[in-house]
Amino acid sequence: MICAARTTGIVFFPAFDWAISPTHPEREERLLYTYDQLAEEGIFDIDGITEAKPDVVGKEDIERVHFLFADFDRTVTPSHLVACGGAVKAARLVMEKRVEKGAALVRPPGHHAMKSVQGNRGFCAVNNEAVMLEWIRSHYGPIRTAIVDTDCHHGDGTQDIYWYDPDTLYISVHQDGRTLYPGSGFPDEKGGGRGIGKTVNIPLPPGTSEEGFLHALEHTILPILEDYKPDLVINSAGQDNHYTDPITNMRFTAQGYARLTELLNPDIVVLEGGYSIQDALPYVNLGIILALAGTDYSHVREPDYDPDSLREDGETREYIKAVCDTALREYFVPSVPLPEPGRFLEREKRIYYDTDCITEHQKESILACDSCPGVRIIKSRSSSRPLSIGVEIPMKGCERCREEGHRIAGESKKSGRYEKVLLIDRCPQG
Amino acid sequence: MIAGIDIGGTHTDAVLVDNGRIVAKSKIPTLHEDLVKTVQRSLTNLTEKKKAGGVTRITLSTTLATNALVEGALETAGVLVCSGPGIDPLKYSIGPAFHLVGGSVDHRGRETEPVDTRELDRAASECREKGVRVFACVAKFSPRNPAHELLLSRRLAPHADFITEGHRLSGMPGFGRRIATAYYNAAVWRLFNRFADAASSTAAALGIGPDIHILKADGGTMPLSESRILPVLSILSGPAASIMGIQALFPVNRDAVCIDIGGTTSDIFFLADGVPLFERGGIALDGRNTLVPSLFSKSIGVGGDSHVRMESGRVTVGPRRLGPAMATGDKAPTLTDALNVSGRAAYGDVSRSQGGIGLLAKQHGADPGRLADEAVSFAANAVAREVERLVAAINERPVYTVRELLHERRLVPERLLLMGGPADCLAKPLGAALGIEAGIPEHFDVANAIGAALTKPTRCIELFADTAIGIMSVPALGVRKAVPAGYTESDAERDAARLLLDRLKTQGVGLGGVEVETTYKSTFSMVEGFSTVGRNIRIRCQVKPGLLYDLVENKKE
Repeated sequence: MICAARTTGIVFFPAFDWAISPTHPEREERLLYTYDQLAEEGIFDIDGITEAKPDVVGKEDIERVHFLFADFDRTVTPSHLVACGGAVKAARLVMEKRVEKGAALVRPPGHHAMKSVQGNRGFCAVNNEAVMLEWIRSHYGPIRTAIVDTDCHHGDGTQDIYWYDPDTLYISVHQDGRTLYPGSGFPDEKGGGRGIGKTVNIPLPPGTSEEGFLHALEHTILPILEDYKPDLVINSAGQDNHYTDPITNMRFTAQGYARLTELLNPDIVVLEGGYSIQDALPYVNLGIILALAGTDYSHVREPDYDPDSLREDGETREYIKAVCDTALREYFVPSVPLPEPGRFLEREKRIYYDTDCITEHQKESILACDSCPGVRIIKSRSSSRPLSIGVEIPMKGCERCREEGHRIAGESKKSGRYEKVLLIDRCPQG
Repeated sequence: MIAGIDIGGTHTDAVLVDNGRIVAKSKIPTLHEDLVKTVQRSLTNLTEKKKAGGVTRITLSTTLATNALVEGALETAGVLVCSGPGIDPLKYSIGPAFHLVGGSVDHRGRETEPVDTRELDRAASECREKGVRVFACVAKFSPRNPAHELLLSRRLAPHADFITEGHRLSGMPGFGRRIATAYYNAAVWRLFNRFADAASSTAAALGIGPDIHILKADGGTMPLSESRILPVLSILSGPAASIMGIQALFPVNRDAVCIDIGGTTSDIFFLADGVPLFERGGIALDGRNTLVPSLFSKSIGVGGDSHVRMESGRVTVGPRRLGPAMATGDKAPTLTDALNVSGRAAYGDVSRSQGGIGLLAKQHGADPGRLADEAVSFAANAVAREVERLVAAINERPVYTVRELLHERRLVPERLLLMGGPADCLAKPLGAALGIEAGIPEHFDVANAIGAALTKPTRCIELFADTAIGIMSVPALGVRKAVPAGYTESDAERDAARLLLDRLKTQGVGLGGVEVETTYKSTFSMVEGFSTVGRNIRIRCQVKPGLLYDLVENKKE
């Protein structure tokens, strides 16, 4: 019998009965061949690897994270509650110390879902990792966490949710936004308020392969993690950097993903995108699970794997090194000063929900505070709904900010100007 | 009349059933060195006063293959394996003649690398030099495309007495399981066939017809002819005999837990709506998982002979077994002795039990009666906690659709069925520990043999169709044929049922009372780019397991 070096709990939930639409990449078939490969390999026969059934999260678990301005029942389907529940289950197994590592291979994905939800964008409605992390924090306190997003698309949703949070380091390595959806994720996006510097973006050029990704990991991501010293590392493990992925332009491999997992050594892995369902996912998922469990993965490769033909050219290699150096510098020496306490920092955003064809206009402000991350306020109107407002009092919120948050929410309700007034209070008294 | 013979580790039980009534029972010690003689004596005992010619069917539950595997008394089987990418195939190395051969097929059954025939010939000639005559040929994803196993098998055939091709064992996934199962099948083939030869000539000599069946671990039987090519399916059939027996003796149609309390261990089984629960994947033997389908059963180290002792001031029972009870002449107190002392049983010489438990109590300054009671409740609680742990694990079994997850069927045992020697005296404490009322069937002393006698033949097959490639296949039956693009799930379901019944017919299995049911079906649209290119259809169907008929005298619920 094969033994895993680290006990690992896998929540595998392929949602074989759910699709965005019959031929959409996010359809029933997506994890079918991954299932076939994992079952044929006997991954759950490995001593130390166990399979677990997802939890189903409730409305309160979603509303702990998101301002759900859209209609809840129409936007959040049972499969979203199960996908988030799968991530929560993986986390629960790790937090309860029943396993050393957890992985949630669930769909649909979530990393494009932002703080405010007016609909479905980038195949995502709710943010699986954020729902999971805030579930953890609501049960285990404000745990210092790093989320490393290795999906090919910039995780703009996760970035947005944790933009101001100094206790959540968000690092995204992805295909350059000038060449791929959602078009963001540049090194100058590095967080706001007291969260400055705690957002790190590493946009890699099309054609990046094993050497480039591992360079970013070893020269930028690992040194930053070394400095930040998180208590928990979460990997948003999109698998669409693969050389066969139909909707991206990278050249990453199953061997590369496995090596990355081994070096990053995350506590919890959550599947994000990845749409080469026959030629990549079966091998990449196998490699990630074996590496996470500390088991030999040296024989895991695609049938047509040829590292020489996938290697970056010299110019691309030099470009990658430069980008990684920039991202590293931005983390250690953020060139934007901390905001002055008592002032409102403001951002205006226009967000397009491609899956649902909705446009959102958003005005966000945060009350700069020198003793807590500050009250966050989002006023949002979309092409299908009138103006609403969301007010969040963060965990570790100070007394003054707490009072201010409640005052704003109360006055907003009284004013009658808003369709919905949502309040998230993460440090209720008592 | 039909006969059931359960060859167990210690005893061989046999019964003769006529028109739903038990007309003869036999219990003799098992002669491990001569199982055929054991069968012969059991049959003679059963048919003493009747004409043996009236026996139309015999079912045997035999430990022959299991013992050979556990004791390592195996013929050297050559194992030839085509792996391709994935987990290092050397991790599945088994037996003294294991060979890897280049070649690979992917998850959809597409060949991604042809078989390396030079490596194949080298492996074949090495086996030949060692005098190997039986083989297992196994390829990854062979149920999706058996071409590589067939090629290996063809090349080996001129020098082989018997070859097991992995895809003929099962259509279920599990490369490592397939390797172990195919190896075991090849390695016990000759031994099992000698037994089968002897068993049929014994039956013939007694004037019994040719209808001999072998019990399988999945709660079904197979004709002797099939067991000759799939002997591995005969392993670990004992628990299936018990659970089928208890169903015959005490039919329930609710969720239930059944416990067979033995000397060293107790076996725990479950019924969901009265139907036995299956093991996921297949049974494990000798530390290796196999593809042999099996009813769910778990052993716990608590039985009548479990050692009663004090450990850091607390009474403890099992998992060690020291020998039979002091009541029957042994030196250390057991659970049976505790049952005697607590007044629940009167087995053997009760005064010897009192002596043993009394001495232990004296050594630890305890009251013997109280110590005995504590030992009994320790044992009952140990079993009850294990039952609860198993129920929780069963309810945690993963499902893969949102519908199943949101409308899950949970196992909640409402009935406790007990069998085995100390069943009577443990009924109350076990029922109390589990909070479920216990029932004990009559004739439980030969329940295993009754189970063997009354069990129906079963067979399970998997069908795969991939209309993008245009192929339908039933690996276990060696069927693989072209299908049109319009082939649907209902076509597949119909084909699977028809192929299964045809196979049973050619094996001479009477089809009266045989019911085929689909136990799994799924259809996926296969999309390339943004258009649908075909359907991926998966069907699993089986002959519904169950009893040939109910016993007349034991209708309880």
